[in-house]
Amino acid sequence: MKTEPVLSRNFDVADAWKIATAESRGAYVTAKKVLTSLQPDEVTNQVLAANLRGLGGAGFPTGKKWQFLPKDGKKPVYLVVNADEGEPGTCKDRLILERDPHQMIEGMILAAFAIRSRKAYIYIRGEYVLSFRRTQAAVDEAYAKGYLGKNIFGSGVDLDIVVHRGAGAYICGEETALLNSLEGGRGYPRLKPPFPAIVGLFGCPTIVNNVETLACVPHILKNGPEWFAKLGSAGNGGTHLFSLSGHVNKPGVYELPMGTPLREIIELHGGGVKGGRKLKAVIPGGISAKILTADEIDVNMDYDSLRNAGTMLGSAGVMVMDDSVCMVKMLFYATKFFSHESCGQCSPCREGTGWAHKIVTRIYEGRGNLKDLDTLLTIARNMEGRTICVFADAAAWPIQSYITKFRKEFEDYIG
Amino acid sequence: MSEAVLKSLDPEAQKIVAKYDQKRAATLMLLHLAQDKVGYVTPEVEAWVSKWTDVPVVHVRGVVTFYSMYHLKPAGRHHIRYCTSTSCILQGAEKVLCHLKKKLGIENHETTKDGKFSLEEAECLCNCDAAPMMQVGDDYHVDLTEKKIDQLLDGLK
Ligand SMILES: Cc1cc2nc3c(=O)[nH]c(=O)nc-3n(C[C@H](O)[C@H](O)[C@H](O)COP(=O)(O)O)c2cc1C
Ligand code: SF4
Ligand code: FES
Repeated sequence: MKTEPVLSRNFDVADAWKIATAESRGAYVTAKKVLTSLQPDEVTNQVLAANLRGLGGAGFPTGKKWQFLPKDGKKPVYLVVNADEGEPGTCKDRLILERDPHQMIEGMILAAFAIRSRKAYIYIRGEYVLSFRRTQAAVDEAYAKGYLGKNIFGSGVDLDIVVHRGAGAYICGEETALLNSLEGGRGYPRLKPPFPAIVGLFGCPTIVNNVETLACVPHILKNGPEWFAKLGSAGNGGTHLFSLSGHVNKPGVYELPMGTPLREIIELHGGGVKGGRKLKAVIPGGISAKILTADEIDVNMDYDSLRNAGTMLGSAGVMVMDDSVCMVKMLFYATKFFSHESCGQCSPCREGTGWAHKIVTRIYEGRGNLKDLDTLLTIARNMEGRTICVFADAAAWPIQSYITKFRKEFEDYIG
Repeated sequence: MSEAVLKSLDPEAQKIVAKYDQKRAATLMLLHLAQDKVGYVTPEVEAWVSKWTDVPVVHVRGVVTFYSMYHLKPAGRHHIRYCTSTSCILQGAEKVLCHLKKKLGIENHETTKDGKFSLEEAECLCNCDAAPMMQVGDDYHVDLTEKKIDQLLDGLK
């Protein structure tokens, strides 16, 4: 199904990151209208009704998260944008930051209004230098126009935005690690509860939202929550930027309705498997999502459908593997990733990811034995559900799913 | 020598620190600023960041070692981050990396003798739809082939 682009409508417009072009395409009209005519809670209610779910990977309903904030107004509230994109297979937030940052900034203005925040931080991964420059330039231009700062749009509302850079650590994408990092420390995830909505940045109530989540907000307020909800599938509103990579004819980032069938993404939008080869497997939502075999791809790409299929939508990074791919090698690279990126706070994660990578390396180099497969599954089981953050669970899933679904290939490889 | 450079960065440091609700939150940005100008994180850089953030130097050091982008020794004039994550591997990243290493005569975490290039095998840099890819300095280079590597590196001063 072809739909009108919403989030990506300016991606191919030259200079859309400059405010003049962005405004000629309608930027900030909605924010101005909303700030001068609606109440904050009305914004939250519309976001709730739109079925917008956090697009950073967890899929938590955005309006509901905003409602968790304490109502007493005793402490300042912070809005923090998670632009630490780093999940292997994902390349969507970068497009918004580089090509249409005003869309996100307008979303931030609306979100900050809804949650009564006067200060927001954008945490951009350190390697995204162009994203940082464009976003900073966009924020500067928005200040110059009076869309940020004091009394924006003459509404009496204030908002300051600081654009911040990370420095190379995948774990800082986890929201509490991100907060520690933003505070100037090591990116260690925090024990939860308390959740950031209660105790977040500098000990104050904080909402952390993904870049794409915030980019959706102006469209919801402009076209109405019913329109947005209807774009997607039941309970999963809107469209989503699907990153498609690996063995397809046309890799790229495709904006499609939530719930688009995975097969359609690969065969129609991606132009099918490259070189006419046979499909072997697909990772549907970034490296942390459990792998699907070629027989399992008749599934809809939304949070609920993929959970029911035993995997997850995650970051919507779809990685396609043809029949030439060696699963032992792919597990080697997956365990390399997780052993590199564990922050090391919890021993099941630190030791587990390290051991798993060591054993998979041994197998990959031809020195494995059949017992190693069960050892790996045991290590994976011991990493689940007992750590400060879900990184360790995510590290367990590729091990479990690659080995269980391609057991015979692993056994033949070991020989 | 880095003291003079750092002194010249003081006005900018002041502006950065002023944006944050707490000084220590400026740590990462100050480290980026200083590393860009000095070349790597020297003890003087750590002391300078400590001065601006009111954070003990040992704490600054703890931060520096946690993040992969800060260098404790000089990197090459062109620092290369070469992606070795799943999508790039699927698209032939290993072969191109082999070529790159042979061409430069260095391995992961090494610098060429003339100080021109340093190499870091990185995890996903999130341009997976144009794999294989790498970052040289600030810039992304995508859809890499051996030929493209030659043209690109030969063209750099
Ligand atoms: C290991 C790990 C890495 C994560 N990386 C990211 C990331 O790069 N970007 C992101 O937006 N969310 C990431 N998340 C999810 C965040 O913790 C958080 O749920 C999200 O930023 C909330 O925003 P949303 O509700 O708008 O999705 C990650 C979570 C975990 C556990
Ligand atoms: S699970 Fe792993 S990444 Fe998460 S806090 Fe523990 S050690 Fe760090
Ligand atoms: S896997 Fe190489 S850029 Fe993502």
